[in-house]
Amino acid sequence: MGDTSDASESETVSDEDVPSALAVALSSNLLARLALLLAVSSTAMVTPRISAADTLARVRSSGRLTYGADEEGGAPYFFRDEADRRVGFEAELMTRIGAELGVEPVLFQAQWEYLLQVLGRGEVDAVVNGYELTGARARDFLASRPYYIYQLQLMAARDGPVRAWADFEFPRPGGGPWKVGVMGMSAADTYARRFQGDNIRIFTFDGVTNAMRAVRNGQIDATLQDLPAARHYIKSPEFRDRLAPVGPPEGSGYYVIYTRKEDLRLRDAIDRAIGRLIDSGELRKIYEKYDIWNEAQEDLGRRASTTADPAGPRRPIFDLGLLLRFGPSLLLAALTTIVLSCTAMPLAMAIGLLVAVWRLYGPRPLARLLGGYVELIRGTPLIIQLYVLFYVLPDLGLTLSPWAAGVAGLAMNYSAYEAEIYRAGLQAIPKGQMEAALALGMSPALAIRRVIIPQATRIVIPPVTSDFIALFKDTSVCSVIALTELTKQYSILFNSQGGVLEFGVATAALYMAMSLPLSKFSRWVEQRLDAEPGKGVIE
Amino acid sequence: MIEVDGLVKRYGPLDVLKGVSLGFARGEVASIIGPSGGGKSTFLRCLNGLESFDGGSVTVDGLRIGVETRPRERSKTLRQVCRTVGMVFQSFNLFPHRTVLQNVTEAPIHVLGLDRARAEERARKLLDRVGLLDKLDARPRHLSGGQQQRVAIARALAMEPRAMLFDEPTSALDPRMAGEVLAVMADLARDGMTMIVVTHSMKFARQVSHTVHVFGNGQVLESGPPAQVFQEPRHEATRLLLAETQAA
Repeated sequence: MGDTSDASESETVSDEDVPSALAVALSSNLLARLALLLAVSSTAMVTPRISAADTLARVRSSGRLTYGADEEGGAPYFFRDEADRRVGFEAELMTRIGAELGVEPVLFQAQWEYLLQVLGRGEVDAVVNGYELTGARARDFLASRPYYIYQLQLMAARDGPVRAWADFEFPRPGGGPWKVGVMGMSAADTYARRFQGDNIRIFTFDGVTNAMRAVRNGQIDATLQDLPAARHYIKSPEFRDRLAPVGPPEGSGYYVIYTRKEDLRLRDAIDRAIGRLIDSGELRKIYEKYDIWNEAQEDLGRRASTTADPAGPRRPIFDLGLLLRFGPSLLLAALTTIVLSCTAMPLAMAIGLLVAVWRLYGPRPLARLLGGYVELIRGTPLIIQLYVLFYVLPDLGLTLSPWAAGVAGLAMNYSAYEAEIYRAGLQAIPKGQMEAALALGMSPALAIRRVIIPQATRIVIPPVTSDFIALFKDTSVCSVIALTELTKQYSILFNSQGGVLEFGVATAALYMAMSLPLSKFSRWVEQRLDAEPGKGVIE
Repeated sequence: MIEVDGLVKRYGPLDVLKGVSLGFARGEVASIIGPSGGGKSTFLRCLNGLESFDGGSVTVDGLRIGVETRPRERSKTLRQVCRTVGMVFQSFNLFPHRTVLQNVTEAPIHVLGLDRARAEERARKLLDRVGLLDKLDARPRHLSGGQQQRVAIARALAMEPRAMLFDEPTSALDPRMAGEVLAVMADLARDGMTMIVVTHSMKFARQVSHTVHVFGNGQVLESGPPAQVFQEPRHEATRLLLAETQAA
């Protein structure tokens, strides 16, 4: 699924259902990802690749062709049917190619963005997953001849204001720019950005259906998607009556199979297999079965694989030029991260404090209710909360913009954790403090405000600071709701430009640059508040 | 000044106070002594509402709270009571995040609504009286226990109470520091402050107070002027208590 629509779909949020979103949330620990990436990329670039003298011979003798793909990518590429069998046009394509080569195709599951890195490491012999042919990728890997010619389809609300591409040339009724959703790092993204300007603003989504849902909810005006995914999902009950294609498919590009640069013989064997499938009409049968055949595919027979020069120049180990060119977009994404966290955290702290105080000192029914709130929020993943706020609330009549949903989601999620921290902090204050305040004639509220909270504050500064730093990194989950912050921008960049190492280092450095001042600040506040370590605040 | 009528307090199956009735006149200095667990502190804490009770009533300067008083009415009245009656605790309970001066001005400013200048003037006078004028800007943790307790007394006095409750004010102090605190209390007594003092200090009970009440087993075992109670104890428990403290 390549740079095209569903590309990103595989990535963070499933467009299909919440369970898979959950799976991703659990698997997407940022630091772990960065570390993995750095490790993966440096291995890939610095050490000689693990290349058998001849991969094709090894594949043939072992009888297995291992290929990388991400099943989370969804229909119609790879997906599970009602009987939980793996289906999809690429699954069937690989079965046929395996048959042609006389081997069994074996799927190696990995996250979509990292498939080429996995290929470079040697875990798999090929990558097949809607990966499109791009110059950057063809520099580092061998591309097969195209097995599908994709186009882009614009979709909009059935009775909405967008009826043709030409509508974008005129101001949007109701003011503001036209909002167009695309998959991050997709061909549609690249294509749509050419039109970006006063009239059009691009929003980046993680899943095909998420973008379509945003159109249905009226949060954006239209979405540009790879034709296969568009054709598949627009028939689903959720969108059938709400969305319509706008105009004919636009633009085009090639889905190809990638192999390592030195595996020319394997690539050629795959090319021949694809050629035979095209000539015999088998490929067309597969595509017709999945309803993705169109006239554009007639051209497949005339496209050979791109010639690549295996002896061509390798990329430098660290390409500074890449950073100079794309640094500004990373910085812009870092700004999004900063604004998101610096808006959400104060809100989370305020809500958390209220929740903690009411839980401890409020009337019992309210305390119970808030206890339930804390358990509910802490017990469910942030990604699902954001999802509900952005995609589900519109069904109940409350439509939030990505920013509003992002800030609200982060603030709500962290408020539960802050509430627990404050509760612990408040409970750590000796009972005698409250008694002394009451004995002086203070009301409970005044005592809490003037006596208890100021003391608890000193206790909670360190844990609250570390939560703030955690929130900085958790903003990455907001890519589910079309907010492109630092982590998202990083994966967009290394996927479209290569340079996992360069962008990885820059991204890690930016995160450090953001969190270090925060740690310094918190230490400064602690000192100002005269909380001498070791002495404690309790007399 | 303070009337207590049939006060009952239970902790689960345990009767801590079994119907205690006592009166305290204006300007009276009363000591409450007795063995640990006799209900002395609980009795004192019922007077200003730090403990709720299960029977009887407390009337402070005309403000009456009975078991039947509704919660809302009760907390309103208690707030009044606490403005009328100051309290000093065994563990001082100073506010550690404020300076000595701020500890004393906190309630006058935020409860009585005094402006800062007047509150500070009042605080300085009181801190001078307890001998701590040089510690205005110190934090409580930098003071000795005796100094902290004297700040606590000044803090309570800053509300200009009509009566003062002392809950074992010297029990956490060594004898020298206890002496500093007792001197301040004796000074207060001379000034005519109504004081109810739960104490283990027989010296204070004997020399300063007008009345001594002996608590034991949730009841008042005997009451009277110190001379009478100390010279001719009528109750066996009182004799035991006196023997114990003399031995110690």
